[in-house]
Amino acid sequence: MPVVKVLTAGIGEVDLRDIDVYRKRGGYEQWKRAVTEMEPSAILDMTMKSGLRGRGGAGFPTGRKWSFLPDNGRPRYLVCNSDEAEPGTFKDHMLLEETPHQVLEGLLIAAYSIGSNHAFIYIRGEFKRAYSIFLAAVEQARAAGFIGEKLFGTDRAVEVTVHRGAGAYICGEETALLNSLEGKRGEPRLKPPFPAVKGLYGEPTVVNNTETVASLPHLLKHGVEWFTAMGTEKSPGPKIVSVSGHVRKPGNYEVPLGTTLRELLELAGGPRNGRAIVAIQPGGGSSACLFAEHLDLAYDFETMAQNGTMLGSGAVVFFDDSTDFVKAAHALVRFYAHESCGQCTPCREGGHWLEITLERLIEGGGLESDIDMLLKVSNQLTGINLCPLGDSIEPFLASVVKRFEAQFRAYVSKPEAVSAR
Amino acid sequence: MNGALERRDFHEVLRQVKPEAERLITLYPEKRSALLPILHAFQNVEGWVSPEAMDTAGEMLDLPRSVVESTASFYSLFFRRPVGKYMLQPCRNLSCIINGAYETNAYLRGQLGVGHLETTEDGLFSYEEVECLAACDRAPCMQVNLEFVYDLTPQKIDEMLAAMRAGTYDVAPLPQTVKPARSWHVGPEPMGKSPGARDVPDPNDPGGLGDRTGVAMLERLARDPEPIRVRPTRERLVVDGDAILEAEAGEVERSEH
Repeated sequence: MPVVKVLTAGIGEVDLRDIDVYRKRGGYEQWKRAVTEMEPSAILDMTMKSGLRGRGGAGFPTGRKWSFLPDNGRPRYLVCNSDEAEPGTFKDHMLLEETPHQVLEGLLIAAYSIGSNHAFIYIRGEFKRAYSIFLAAVEQARAAGFIGEKLFGTDRAVEVTVHRGAGAYICGEETALLNSLEGKRGEPRLKPPFPAVKGLYGEPTVVNNTETVASLPHLLKHGVEWFTAMGTEKSPGPKIVSVSGHVRKPGNYEVPLGTTLRELLELAGGPRNGRAIVAIQPGGGSSACLFAEHLDLAYDFETMAQNGTMLGSGAVVFFDDSTDFVKAAHALVRFYAHESCGQCTPCREGGHWLEITLERLIEGGGLESDIDMLLKVSNQLTGINLCPLGDSIEPFLASVVKRFEAQFRAYVSKPEAVSAR
Repeated sequence: MNGALERRDFHEVLRQVKPEAERLITLYPEKRSALLPILHAFQNVEGWVSPEAMDTAGEMLDLPRSVVESTASFYSLFFRRPVGKYMLQPCRNLSCIINGAYETNAYLRGQLGVGHLETTEDGLFSYEEVECLAACDRAPCMQVNLEFVYDLTPQKIDEMLAAMRAGTYDVAPLPQTVKPARSWHVGPEPMGKSPGARDVPDPNDPGGLGDRTGVAMLERLARDPEPIRVRPTRERLVVDGDAILEAEAGEVERSEH
């Protein structure tokens, strides 16, 4: 089985929330090495060469993201995005609660390598426990001299602020996150300018996902070759995959990118009660479904993209043949309608109309024409919004309507009312 | 404002929250960033974000109350009306519903006797169905006062509710300074009329502007059944624009002579 233990090493065996335990395993050595022995440009160079891609959803190369910062002498900020709320994703939740120091060390290294002396971490409002755990980790690290002024006897300084959100999926979008961090409504900004040019408080800013920064200490420790030896050419490194749905052992599995979906299914214990897997959502709520014939595809950024979907945040949901895809589509559409910030009309109105159309279908008042309308409306609200939230409605909905059209048609001819929830 | 609100001692709340709020402001390069943390701090003490709390946050951060309220209203975890002592938030997203969340949620609602965004009569429980809580490996899941409960079953729900009613549940209840109403959902408030408009009928009332326009339209149609042709925007802009320019030019010429 292609399991690796990099970011997940030690979880469930020892208490990595304790800084002493973390340090005994080599923790904070890379942070010390970075500050005392390495120039920021050397770390940027390593990250570029490693091909590390953002683990939050878009898969943008991390080194390139850092390299976009203008050299204009303005203060720079690093923001770690821990607003994990993509349906099906629960990797950052685990990292924050189980190995906060690993995330913190990565955060510090990332801040150092972009030349920022003030880093922020935006933790999802619902993660109250993770927030307390992370605050405690920051205090432990501060007491040990890893945060603050005169780091390791040099004149380097770094400050870390732990910020907690208050319940809004859209704040996972980086410009919405920055607005929220500035104390505003979490509404995405018009881009460009991108955060690298005008981000937090209008200054050059990098927003990186939790898992991305947590990968950095390992990259520094083991080097570029070790990192690129794992995974595929365009998707190197280990990736935590959140597997859920109709499997016997749902959970987080750390695998090299390029592992097949079937191997992931086997890792998660396979389907339940001898049922057959008929669909797979490979990259969180915003990704299109793959189907049984795709089980042998490699799970990496490029293969997923070639097959019309995406790796996204690394959340794989398996659906067996007992699934009601009309209700599944309704739940996801309702989610996007609920979480739309309301700035762009297509997303705000389109999401709502799709939700009530599906609700009517389930409750027994649907029309034959509704099925075409679902496809038409979801297609028309795509690509014309400020941020990708509106565009996230179509992929799953369209893929299951096309594949399981009979299930949708069956609701039309079903005269008796069923509760939509 | 909500009629259920009672007068209470806000000074005691302030005494607890203000030092913390002042500390929070120092953590950020710009103080407005402390808005969400300050609202969290008030909610931790009061159990909700009261109008007084929003006023205080605004004063501390030099923000108008409207801005504070607008921001607070964006975030679903800020309750702008009092809620129950146990905020029960089961997930209704994909991984949970394909693992039986609709059944467990319906069971929970049945046991409580309330629906989405509602609080029980005794003020003990509030119920809100929420989106993915990032615990899909233990579906169906829920949060109780933001602490996770995993692998929900009717039996687990029964035990949980019994412990909460008996006061032995291991998650602390939320503070409750004011008795909650049936719902904490804040909808649009009925619009008041400005003083000058008090005696003017609403546009759609009989005799109102909209009504008169409608009557005028019907009268016109009765006289002349030919429908009004609405010209395309481009035509209106170009043709009318040229005509207006010509007319203006004519006027200028006339005035010059």
